[in-house]
Amino acid sequence: MTRILLSDKLDNCVARWRKAGLTVIGPVKKETFSSYAVVEKAAEFDLGLVLPDRSIKGLFFPQTEPMLEYTIKKQAIDTKDFAPPSDKRIIFGARPCDASGLAIDDPLFGWDYKDEYWFQRRNETVIVSIACTRADDFCMCTSLKLAPDSTKGSDVLLRPLQNNKGWLVQELTDRGREAFSQIADLLQEGSEPAAPTVVVAEKFNLDACVAWLQNPANFDSSFWKEISMRCIGCASCTFLCPTCHCFDFQDEGDTYSGIRRKNWDSCSFALFTMHTSGHNPRATQSARWRQRIMHKFNYFPGKFSVNSCSGCGRCSRQCPVDMGITETLQAISTLKP
Amino acid sequence: MSEPFEPKIIAFVCTYCTYAGADLAGTSRLKYAPNVRIIRLPCTGRISPMFILKALQKGADGVLVSGCHPGDCHFTHGNYHARRRWTVFRALLEFTGIPLDRVKFSWISAAEGAKFAEFMNSVTEDIRKLGPFDQYKELIKETEAPATL
Amino acid sequence: MTIQEQYKTRVRELLSSGTVKMVIGYKAGTTADRRRPLFIRTPEEADQLLLDSACIANLSGYLIAEGLLSDEKRVGIFLKPDGIRTINILAAEAQLNIEQIIVLGFDITGQEVTALQGETAGDFSALIESIKEGAPEALKNPLIDQLEQLNPKERFAYWQAEFSRCIKCYACRQACPMCYCRRCIVDCNQPQWVNTSSHTLGNFEWNIVRAFHLSGRCVGCGNCDRACPVNIPLRLINARMAQEVLGSFDHLAGMSDTQEPVLASFKKDDSETFIL
Repeated sequence: MTRILLSDKLDNCVARWRKAGLTVIGPVKKETFSSYAVVEKAAEFDLGLVLPDRSIKGLFFPQTEPMLEYTIKKQAIDTKDFAPPSDKRIIFGARPCDASGLAIDDPLFGWDYKDEYWFQRRNETVIVSIACTRADDFCMCTSLKLAPDSTKGSDVLLRPLQNNKGWLVQELTDRGREAFSQIADLLQEGSEPAAPTVVVAEKFNLDACVAWLQNPANFDSSFWKEISMRCIGCASCTFLCPTCHCFDFQDEGDTYSGIRRKNWDSCSFALFTMHTSGHNPRATQSARWRQRIMHKFNYFPGKFSVNSCSGCGRCSRQCPVDMGITETLQAISTLKP
Repeated sequence: MSEPFEPKIIAFVCTYCTYAGADLAGTSRLKYAPNVRIIRLPCTGRISPMFILKALQKGADGVLVSGCHPGDCHFTHGNYHARRRWTVFRALLEFTGIPLDRVKFSWISAAEGAKFAEFMNSVTEDIRKLGPFDQYKELIKETEAPATL
Repeated sequence: MTIQEQYKTRVRELLSSGTVKMVIGYKAGTTADRRRPLFIRTPEEADQLLLDSACIANLSGYLIAEGLLSDEKRVGIFLKPDGIRTINILAAEAQLNIEQIIVLGFDITGQEVTALQGETAGDFSALIESIKEGAPEALKNPLIDQLEQLNPKERFAYWQAEFSRCIKCYACRQACPMCYCRRCIVDCNQPQWVNTSSHTLGNFEWNIVRAFHLSGRCVGCGNCDRACPVNIPLRLINARMAQEVLGSFDHLAGMSDTQEPVLASFKKDDSETFIL
């Protein structure tokens, strides 16, 4: 016997959570675009999406966030910090790959300096993931040794019932248990079978790729130029990626007052590595694409023992020229290390 | 009681005609509304539409742009180029919903001190009637607020 | 012989005779409806070539990739009429030498692909002339009309909602063959002219600046619109601007490789009813 959450109770759950002061967030599709957005009613959710267009990342690491406000006076400089929001939130219907993405970035944001903007949000947010019963041509979690029902990064994992009337509840963390204790009476015991998770075919051999990437001789391989020839150098892959985390600080204002902001930045941009002298160590798009792949599958795991990719496939799905990590790693896995 | 609304207006003017016109207004001791902050540029051809946007973005309630009459440009045809640009830029502002009555264009020569003073007054009055440019001010406020999620 | 096979043969000929050093075309993509840009350097590589109604991307931006044309060798490229107009503009703006481009012209109507006769951009001038004649009609868009019916406040609200999604990934810029500036205005960071922040205020600024810089230059190929990962209807602004330059200055971008850019030219009697 396991606990079951029925879909027709979901609206009550949302109301209950909202009453308890939680901001309820979930996948929402508006006309042509889908993202994780704040909802008031369960009917606003679109739980049938394979994935929302935008990843979950922005809810923890916004595309632009004010850090401090400064005022320069004759004798003094005043600064005022912006605190990260302290609202308690629950994200219902996250995809396991998106949730994994957060767990992948945790060590990065907490490595030498603990990023309070990230961790404050992480600590105040309950993530309720739903295992995938559908996938598209771009999904590749299995290639990253994750799965359509991986629990990584989630506080609660829901498995859709075979009869499509609800979900099996698997509580994973105290945060998750607490959020679900508030709706305990809306759950019921049951023995319905869960629907099988979708089979996502493995698209490349990750170990072979990593071995190739780790060989220093391949850093200057002509492969990089070939594979990235059609890359146009936009940042949509990095900005949609649930694990890409590069940012830049910008002071917006003038000599007397302004706001320091933390904005997303991308290794796809030439300006990302441009030196003041005008020299650019990553002068070509192929060098920048190499950096992205190397960072995700060589440097990042070298430091944090985990690949910086959760296999959501957004990079390939949205690429204007149909490139992406999948194609690159597929090509690499056929090369000799 | 809150203070009555005083519009902030930025004027981008060319140095050879309109700025000289402003000088003439001054030496003729003509009074005109103090709401206008003048920014002097070499030529209307140098006035990038981005300046206009930037002014609004920094909190201006209105922008006016002025230079030499056609045919009088110090650089022969800077103002002809500017005129085309303005035509297109106005269409763009209109299409994106930025009210055109907040962005005004004029030709004022070095001899037209009176026209200058009058223009400053009439634009100030028009913008005063329109009130603050709330739509942009809301967006500015948003940039100064902490992240919501 | 299908048009695809005809063109494959043509590409092989061009390459094996040494007429061109490369042909830029299309090949299959990840899914059935996707096409990828393909760079063909040997006759054998032409086997991968695909030409069908899904080949809609404007590839001409690749022509101005750094160093590609600097050896003065020719390059062949698959172009629809909008692409041919694009290379005309690029030539008119001194970004490429039109003599170096061999055009493999094609057009798509519905599901059908037809070959366009001609080899250099100039050969298509009659076709482009006819495009101009039809432009006032072709540029019409019910959504634009709808937006213009609204009052400015409502229009602002519409764009505010659209632009608020922008993440400033600059995919619109990168996908656009007309956005070739070595240093884009948004990359001018000493000081930072256009803020990098993608709050709605900054997004308005970026999207307006982008649209302005493309006014009278955009051919409406739709690369930006398709590239936008947050689906902002950029085509609407571009088309509205194209209507404006056509109506006000009788200008359609890309008529020939010597056409004067509309915002770098003027007539003494240009209309100025709005100037006080």
